Amino acid sequence: MTDAAVSSRQSFAARIWRRTLDGVGVKLGLAWVGLLVFCAVFAPFIANSMPLLISRNGEISAPVLNYLAIEDVWILAGFFIAVAVSRLQLSGGSKFMLFLAGTGVAALIAHVTVQPPALVIYDDFRSAEYTQADWRIMPPIPYAPGDYLRDLGSKGLEAPFASDSHLHWMGTEENGADVFSRMIHACRISLSIGFIATGIALAIGIVVGGLMGYFSGVVDMLGMRLVEIFEDIPTLFLLLTFVAFFGRSLYMMMVIIGVTGWSGYARYVRSEFLKLRKQDYVQAAIASGLPLQSILFRHMLPNGVAPLLVAVSFGVAGAILSEATLSFLGLGVVDAPSWGAMLDQAVKSSTFNWWMAVFPGGAIFMTVFAYNLIGEAFRDAIDPKLSRRGGSES
Amino acid sequence: MLTYLLRRLLLMIPTLLGITIVVFSVMAASPGGISAQTLVGGMDMKPQEKQALLDYYNKRYGLDQPPPMQYLRWLNNVSPIGFVTDEQGQRGAFSFSKGMDLGTSFQYGRPVGDILAERIPITLLLNLVTIPLTYLLAIMIGMKSATQRGSSFDVGASLSMLALWSIPTMLAGVLLLGFFANVQHFQWFPTAGISSREALDMPFLPHWDDNGFVRGFLLDRIWHLILPVICLSYGSFAALAKLTRTSILENLHADYARTARAKGLAEDEVLWKHVFRNSLLPLITVSAGLLPSLLAGSLIVENIFSINGMGQLAVEAVKGRDRELVLSITWVSGFLTLIGYLIADFCYTLADPRVSYD
Repeated sequence: MTDAAVSSRQSFAARIWRRTLDGVGVKLGLAWVGLLVFCAVFAPFIANSMPLLISRNGEISAPVLNYLAIEDVWILAGFFIAVAVSRLQLSGGSKFMLFLAGTGVAALIAHVTVQPPALVIYDDFRSAEYTQADWRIMPPIPYAPGDYLRDLGSKGLEAPFASDSHLHWMGTEENGADVFSRMIHACRISLSIGFIATGIALAIGIVVGGLMGYFSGVVDMLGMRLVEIFEDIPTLFLLLTFVAFFGRSLYMMMVIIGVTGWSGYARYVRSEFLKLRKQDYVQAAIASGLPLQSILFRHMLPNGVAPLLVAVSFGVAGAILSEATLSFLGLGVVDAPSWGAMLDQAVKSSTFNWWMAVFPGGAIFMTVFAYNLIGEAFRDAIDPKLSRRGGSES
Repeated sequence: MLTYLLRRLLLMIPTLLGITIVVFSVMAASPGGISAQTLVGGMDMKPQEKQALLDYYNKRYGLDQPPPMQYLRWLNNVSPIGFVTDEQGQRGAFSFSKGMDLGTSFQYGRPVGDILAERIPITLLLNLVTIPLTYLLAIMIGMKSATQRGSSFDVGASLSMLALWSIPTMLAGVLLLGFFANVQHFQWFPTAGISSREALDMPFLPHWDDNGFVRGFLLDRIWHLILPVICLSYGSFAALAKLTRTSILENLHADYARTARAKGLAEDEVLWKHVFRNSLLPLITVSAGLLPSLLAGSLIVENIFSINGMGQLAVEAVKGRDRELVLSITWVSGFLTLIGYLIADFCYTLADPRVSYD
């Protein structure tokens, strides 16, 4: 009785959030995603060849800061802006706009001010200049993803813990780079593609689906044909075509995965809006002469957004898998490590080395699994009819 | 029924047109355009030869014309009715019996129709082996965990299904290939292809002869297919088993099931004749989406196991920017997908007499 009284005072969103967090699986999923976010943001400080802090002749310096790339600085700034903004007392929309504006400004500042050395020679960091110091603090994994350990005479393909002189938690790949370090830096690609591609797909899906559901009739019919066309081309094939013909930069891939994946969201939004458009408050909004975007996005969307959450968390998993698949087929981002590309390396190498397949593949699996768990929890919380727990109670 | 079938087939045409238009516009809008790659192959040609080739392509495919015209030209060549085109690329009279011309692949220099005829049966074979197997296993496991709900079998099955569902095909393929088809570990299965060279000369069935056991063509083929089929099937199998379980659970305690038990039917009878048939509908709904996902899956699986099917061909065509091949693969796979939907809709009428399309 008291529980019901408490929950009725909470908003719908807060109630869903509370019910979502009930399960064990979803906590594990969120913990894994949190770990990935941490790794992605602080990658240069976790896995790098240069010391974090070094003291030479009483002078303390931080070489790692001098070598930060523009993206590194930008991601760090974005993370701290996000943390700061989430503590402000603002509505969700303005928080999001503030975050976007903040990261935009941070990107500009980073581009102007940060000038990392164009050439990084990792061997130098193992020379006397850096090793003979009073004291120094190295990152937990003292190898950069592009550090091929030439000076250590590494021949590559070392099994985990195989060598006594230098420790590789997950072994090395063919060129001699540390697999664990590459995995940590690859978190960035997976996470950013997962979120941004899904965001793009969601935006397109909401606009197209919203217009379809709101106007119905001819617009709906034409829109549905468009949705069907995008559903009937095998998505992977469309992705391949896009990537092969448009080049392989990271940003292009985000756009492409977003552009090919919106049809499902459009369907969801359409069916919700078809239900909502005859409701009194929508009719009232139309009668009071509000502009179309206000009716669609201010009044209708917040009421139809719940089932979308489920689709989004499955969508993020799908986008991450798409990126991994493209990289696996040799059409991914070229210059940065990615889990899919690492898996591809494992197949292409002349001998089978289990550590090159198990760790990146396992990371893809864990990430997809985590998002699926989160999606299932959302679904259970939003729609008791579909839930497993609800089903077993009846 | 016939009118329904006709209407559905006619409705496919605009969708197929739309699909090819989307893919064509992607290719036409890309930097470098469609023709860029075709000339890369001619690096070692003399300038005159290169020019001659370019002229030939321009005439044959209208590459010097604006993209919409190129698309219409392609459409005219592909559609079974249209204007007759001669070798010079000139348009002739309108004809109803000119036949389909899928064009010549830039990359292979062979007719696209021939290439597709080689590759499609391989992918279809993979999928036609996979689908029944998936359904059979999924229904068995789903049924068992639904009837023994809450047992350790049910809990274990549910958990492992969720995990199986999340394992990426790539990882499974790479690990299977690495551990079970590798000299370093267990070389139980072949690494590539769908049949050994010597098996092509063997008789169809396994038998004994002077040199001992001959595995024959059939057994050899099965031996080659085991790993790819496992890879293709486990994902959809997990999803299907979960679906079977929930759908049977819904019907297990329905009024009609209780009535059937009350009038003294055996539990097996109730389960398979009454409950199962009513639980089939969601399974059929899913089967419509199964074929496209399997086609996409075979893209990865064929790549890992070096099987020369449609998936492998798609990757090659796209990497080589082979316009004719890409367009044909697009509409063929779109067509197969639509046929899958159509078959699923027909299965509804078989499973549920209440559904009819008249």
